[in-house]
Amino acid sequence: MVVGETAKKKSPTLDVNALLTMLTDELNQINSKLDMMAELNGKILKTQEEFLRRITNGSHQGEVIKLQPDVMTLLSLPRSLRKTVMVLYKLKEATAEDLARETKRLRAVESASANQLVRMGYLKKKREGRKVYFYIE
Amino acid sequence: MKGKVIAIHSSRGGTGKTLIATNLAATYASKGLNVALLDLDFRAPSLLTVFSKGIRRPVKHWLNDFINGRGTIEQALVDVSEKYNLRGRLFAGLANPGIEAIRNMMGRSRAWEVAAVKKLFSLRSTLSNDMGIDCCIFDTSPGIQYSSINAVISSDLSVIVTTLDSLDIEGVQKILAEFYDDFEKRAVVLMNKVFPETRIWSNGREKELINQMEAALKHPVIGVIPCYCDVLQADRASLLAIEKPDHPFLRNLQEVVEKLEHI
Repeated sequence: MVVGETAKKKSPTLDVNALLTMLTDELNQINSKLDMMAELNGKILKTQEEFLRRITNGSHQGEVIKLQPDVMTLLSLPRSLRKTVMVLYKLKEATAEDLARETKRLRAVESASANQLVRMGYLKKKREGRKVYFYIE
Repeated sequence: MKGKVIAIHSSRGGTGKTLIATNLAATYASKGLNVALLDLDFRAPSLLTVFSKGIRRPVKHWLNDFINGRGTIEQALVDVSEKYNLRGRLFAGLANPGIEAIRNMMGRSRAWEVAAVKKLFSLRSTLSNDMGIDCCIFDTSPGIQYSSINAVISSDLSVIVTTLDSLDIEGVQKILAEFYDDFEKRAVVLMNKVFPETRIWSNGREKELINQMEAALKHPVIGVIPCYCDVLQADRASLLAIEKPDHPFLRNLQEVVEKLEHI
């Protein structure tokens, strides 16, 4: 018997249909899992934002807690965020582009990092014309 | 060297930080550089004692005042170069040794600590551009506490002074791994008060000790200074670099100075 002859004898049409059905089922399952993950992620983000809103606005039990990027606090931040704060200590105020020049990282990375620090309450930002400046209050 | 800020730090007290800091500053000034030496150990100030011979008038402005926003750095620096007849100028920023001042500097808020770091970062341009200072040396407090790490993060380079005591070595390992590496700060290690017998060691044997320490600490060791009884017993108000420039301690320190110039 020539090699591959057995494979030729089987009808490929039926196998392809079955395979497609299986793939559709699998994709549907993945899709529903992704929906669940997106829903969970949304809940987690909402909880984090609520927590940050409480500690920065002081709406939680009337207590005002102002976050400060002091050196001990910096130790607990991820290295990428810490680097941005360190540069701001040096430059006093800076655009994402200024930060990127100092850290040798991408402007987009610095923008994301600085904006995250603003959301966390460690930095402030102000707009002057078309430029946005980040600073430590 | 222009505008370089060097922090002299240690994991624990008693390693000889102030002795190294003062003699390093005096060595630079005797070479013709303008130097500012700042006492940032607000809990245990020592530079007032060291420079007591060189200060004629009572101190009006302390470094505490500058950090607290009650004066400029120019006001807080005392020119001690005339007394020591140095080629360059040596300014000392003195921490107030009074109990009330020490208590006042303890337990400050985080917002105050943030303002203090900003002050230290802003020093660089004032000292270098306005006062013509070539090198600024921070004599810090030991370990990880606000006053020491504020000084370290605002400096260009730290010299960590350690003895061969295992507690010191372990402490240095810890601060290098958990603080310096996290902040990506440059640090070199200076071994001080090492066994007296190292004075007669061959270069090969000293190199072996340096290699062992560098392997353990994962940072460069820039010098090994043996323990000299006369240095330990000397009056703290004397500056070896000025009074005994040929002392072997100074020859060891001179090698450190040369290495620091190339870092």
